[in-house]
Amino acid sequence: MSTKVKQPSLFHWWLKLRSPLFWSRRPNSERVMLRLPTVGRALAGAAKSSLAPSNTVRTSVQAASNMVEVFVDGKPVEVEPGTTVLQACEKVGVQIPRFCYHERLSVAGNCRMCLVEIEKAPKPVAACAMPVMKGWNILTNSEKTRKAREGVMEFLLANHPLDCPICDQGGECDLQDQSMQFGSDRSRFTERKRAVEDKNIGPLIKTIMTRCIQCTRCVRFASEIAGVEDLGTTGRGNNLQIGTYVEKMFMSELSGNVIDVCPVGALTSKPYAFTARPWETRKTESIDVMDAVGSNIIVSTRGGEVMRVMPRLNEDVNEEWISDKTRFSYDGLKRQRLTQPMVKDGSGQLTATTWEDALTRVAGALQSVQGSEVAAIAGGLADAEALVSLKDLLNRLDSENLCTEEVFPMEGAGTDLRSNYLLNSRIAGIEDCDLLLLIGTNPRYEAPMFNARVRKSWLHNELQVAMVGQSVDLSYTYDHLGEETSVLKELADGTHPFCQVLSAAKRPVVVVGSSALQREDGAAILGAVSTIAQNARTSSGVEEGWKVLNVLHRVASQVAALDLGYKAGVDAIRKNPPKVLFLLGADAGCITRADLPKDSLIIYQGHHGDVGATMADIILPGAAYTEKNATYVNTEGRSQHTRVAVTAPGMAREDWKIIRAVSDLAGVALPYDTVDEVRARLEEVSPNLVRYDDIQEANYFKQANELAQAVNQDLIASPLVPPQLTVKDFYMTDSISRASQTMAKCVKAVTEGAAAVDEPSIC
Amino acid sequence: MAEYLNVVRRALGQIGGHGGLKGLLVQFFRANDVKTGALIGVDKYGNKYFEDNKHYFFGRHRWVLYTTEMNGKNTMWEVDGSMVPAEWHRWLHCMTDDPPTTHPPEPKKFLAEVHQFNVSGSAQQYVPYSTTRKKVHEWVPPKAEAQ
Amino acid sequence: MFLCAAVRSAVSHTARQVRGLHRSAARAGAGGIFVHRDTPDNNPDTPFDFTEENKKRIESIISMYPEGHKQAATIPVLDLAQRQHGWLPISAMNKVAEVLEVPPMRVYEVVTFYTMFLRQPVGKYFIQICTTTPCMLCNSDSILEALQNKLGIKVGETTPDKMFTLIEVECLGACVNAPMVQINDDYYEDLTPKDMDDIIDDLKAGRVPPPGPRGGRFSCEPAGGLTSLTEPPKGPGFGVRADL
Repeated sequence: MSTKVKQPSLFHWWLKLRSPLFWSRRPNSERVMLRLPTVGRALAGAAKSSLAPSNTVRTSVQAASNMVEVFVDGKPVEVEPGTTVLQACEKVGVQIPRFCYHERLSVAGNCRMCLVEIEKAPKPVAACAMPVMKGWNILTNSEKTRKAREGVMEFLLANHPLDCPICDQGGECDLQDQSMQFGSDRSRFTERKRAVEDKNIGPLIKTIMTRCIQCTRCVRFASEIAGVEDLGTTGRGNNLQIGTYVEKMFMSELSGNVIDVCPVGALTSKPYAFTARPWETRKTESIDVMDAVGSNIIVSTRGGEVMRVMPRLNEDVNEEWISDKTRFSYDGLKRQRLTQPMVKDGSGQLTATTWEDALTRVAGALQSVQGSEVAAIAGGLADAEALVSLKDLLNRLDSENLCTEEVFPMEGAGTDLRSNYLLNSRIAGIEDCDLLLLIGTNPRYEAPMFNARVRKSWLHNELQVAMVGQSVDLSYTYDHLGEETSVLKELADGTHPFCQVLSAAKRPVVVVGSSALQREDGAAILGAVSTIAQNARTSSGVEEGWKVLNVLHRVASQVAALDLGYKAGVDAIRKNPPKVLFLLGADAGCITRADLPKDSLIIYQGHHGDVGATMADIILPGAAYTEKNATYVNTEGRSQHTRVAVTAPGMAREDWKIIRAVSDLAGVALPYDTVDEVRARLEEVSPNLVRYDDIQEANYFKQANELAQAVNQDLIASPLVPPQLTVKDFYMTDSISRASQTMAKCVKAVTEGAAAVDEPSIC
Repeated sequence: MAEYLNVVRRALGQIGGHGGLKGLLVQFFRANDVKTGALIGVDKYGNKYFEDNKHYFFGRHRWVLYTTEMNGKNTMWEVDGSMVPAEWHRWLHCMTDDPPTTHPPEPKKFLAEVHQFNVSGSAQQYVPYSTTRKKVHEWVPPKAEAQ
Repeated sequence: MFLCAAVRSAVSHTARQVRGLHRSAARAGAGGIFVHRDTPDNNPDTPFDFTEENKKRIESIISMYPEGHKQAATIPVLDLAQRQHGWLPISAMNKVAEVLEVPPMRVYEVVTFYTMFLRQPVGKYFIQICTTTPCMLCNSDSILEALQNKLGIKVGETTPDKMFTLIEVECLGACVNAPMVQINDDYYEDLTPKDMDDIIDDLKAGRVPPPGPRGGRFSCEPAGGLTSLTEPPKGPGFGVRADL
């Protein structure tokens, strides 16, 4: 090598690095270290920086933590290493347009809408997939960024039909909004557009695949959240399409969420098709009562009619998903409704009557018998206000016979200790645990949102799941320990091989399904489970606040009813048949006419003509969950309340008001006239019921376990079989979903194939 | 003097033309008018049609005396304009000068064979109803026999 | 003046539409539609199972990938299935998914992506003729014509005896030896219409003609003989000063 060439000084190198010519002439491979100039600046010290307003402060912060500082349009922001450009921009409140990126799904980076310019980077980068590096200046509104977005938008619209006026997504379409905001005002596209065949993926989701922009959000949702790998991309290039390749239904209990996830109108709701526009509807924030999870929902109404139900964000309960039953059973609210009071006439036929007549008869019946001859059964959709007023009414009539339809063992600690019947670990707590033991439950259909959380934890936190009970498809893998109750005994004794795994767990959680506790040996099962949980907790050495034992309920009213002191199960009523039986939305059919004496009077109060109304002598029409402001407590013990979205149909009234009116006529007027006064009463009985969106800690496992030891009951040998085994058992479980035609279609589609319920599409 | 005689003659003519004083009074209360003229014809229901071009100006020169019993209904005091059949209607309203007695009407399938009374105000009257879909379908209790 | 403008716009419009006539290999031959429709010879009940020999091969293929990454073997195992069956019915894809323990959809995605996976039945000899520019300049059209005349089928069709399937493809990377065809795994290059006839005759007679360039040259040597490196390489001491 020649020595005649003068070695350049460090300063010369630095000047060269700063020069744009240097960067433009270098081959690509040498251009990777984009942050070199910043380092150079730091070295030079006195060099003027166009970006950093305060160099010295920055270096000291960097020394203190390993946060990375980047700039968004010149604004400095500190982010964790590994943060993407998009998240960094979000942190300073700059929204980057996106289609394929979804914060709860993996990053795909295929729509290219989030292209932004990074200062000194040669090309725009995809913000959703690019981790930030120290000192980057992200230009979110530069000429280059805007041109990139405009270009991407033009390509996306090249094959997108311009059918917004007949598209159900119109008005809430990401593509529509973003093309208005970031797109060009005209297209240079004159060729023919691509068309894609529509797929039939079931009675819930309508597909118009020509509108698809191949963001693959639905594919990722299906494989990551729902755990049903039925959707995929087939073909390539211009012919790439989303679908199932073979004729197949998208069979998941969470399938409706792909409608929300889809940024365009390719996947829309079939029952909602062509019924309303988003700007016409009034949105009411409410709570779902189809299962015991209490998913947060938004009820969209128009003209006194529920048009659809959508999820509402609640990180602690349902994140941003809801189950199909929650989303699509709303048409059940419009069918089989009780709209006027009815009484049986001389021939035994139920005929419509006035409120005065019906209430007088009820009050007369209650007054004419002894207190011990009156009993009440609360169903799965009853709210806390109605429950407390019914309890107060019967107590004033000297009756204590208040039961719930759902059974819970009353032996041992029973329902006296609150921690005995709650999902103490909470739904979000599943993300912290490392071992989950499911006993006699199928959470996938009993509590889909809970199951989604388990799957999330299984996928990302390496949660290990084991199960005792009939083997079912849970959308994740688990160790099946057997379905016999003897397994429980072995686990409790510590003789089962799985006990080693259980004792090695750092944060174990045991979940027992409420259906397992409904058996005759429920108390023994609860006792065994309590022992397993207690052993696991001692061996794990987990901190005091960690709770192991959990009960997963299936109906929305159960926890509130137990909190209010209802007896679980109707055994007491069966043993001691009352003369007057008051059914508060009890539709599970746990008690029939045959269980009661001939001359007994059955009063049914509820909103649907189902099992309960058919056997009743007097019917008092109540309000459904979208029609009242009512408190529900979910399986975690979290109390939440619904809001009035529509008025109750016909002469139906809010449930607690009906009971209040009965009490007045029966001469035992209840001391509350407004919903606030009822809630004050609720607070007297159980303060947690009105502490909305808060969970009261309950931690008496040890005492419960000691009491459970005292129970003298043996396990029955029959296997633990949860009532909902496959997806067809999931759709119709209560009076609302049984009245829903959509749910009936789902059952038909699941049993006979999607083609059986295929309707000719209008568009 | 001659005018007064004329009046008396016409009055007597009216009394004679209506079959005596009783007939005149019946006619007066039924039709609010007493007129005599040439009987042009009687329709199938018994309504009588008269014409007098000499004494009455145009528009009042043709009239009908309704029948007293029509299709089983007593129409002595309750009469209805629709009782005039279509073929007489056109003569009565001067759409033509040819009465159906001399020019029988062409049979048309849309002409009513039997007259139907107007049911407005009765229980059979038409009441408009909403054709929009019901928002809420109520539960219909099962029949008592079924239980 | 006006006429001129009208003609220009008509011409430019036609030119634009020509693009719509273009068919890639994916559309014309190997691809077709990207959804599955059950047919008598392609449905989930179409019998397919790997032979014992192939099962061993699959094992060794899978063993090349780390534990828990069986999915990585999708393409080689699919290739194996295609070699065994000649093409890939839906039952073969399902079988591959079962063997690799992945959802069938993940296999369908791969199969529909690659044009070399055949989702329609093909003949025993799958002839892919290249008609991209270099081959076209060396008169691939005559080869195509010869093939069509010889076999009596058009592009995208199979002979009634299920022996030959002919499709037109884009560049196969043998431009030096244009024109060329690929028959199953073999390249036949430097073709003339007569060569093509001979090859088909041989195949019909059950012989497999030797692959490679016709007309005598070795591999992709220059057609007119070597122009460089014509003499043997010099020894180690070449060009070094004698006194060193």
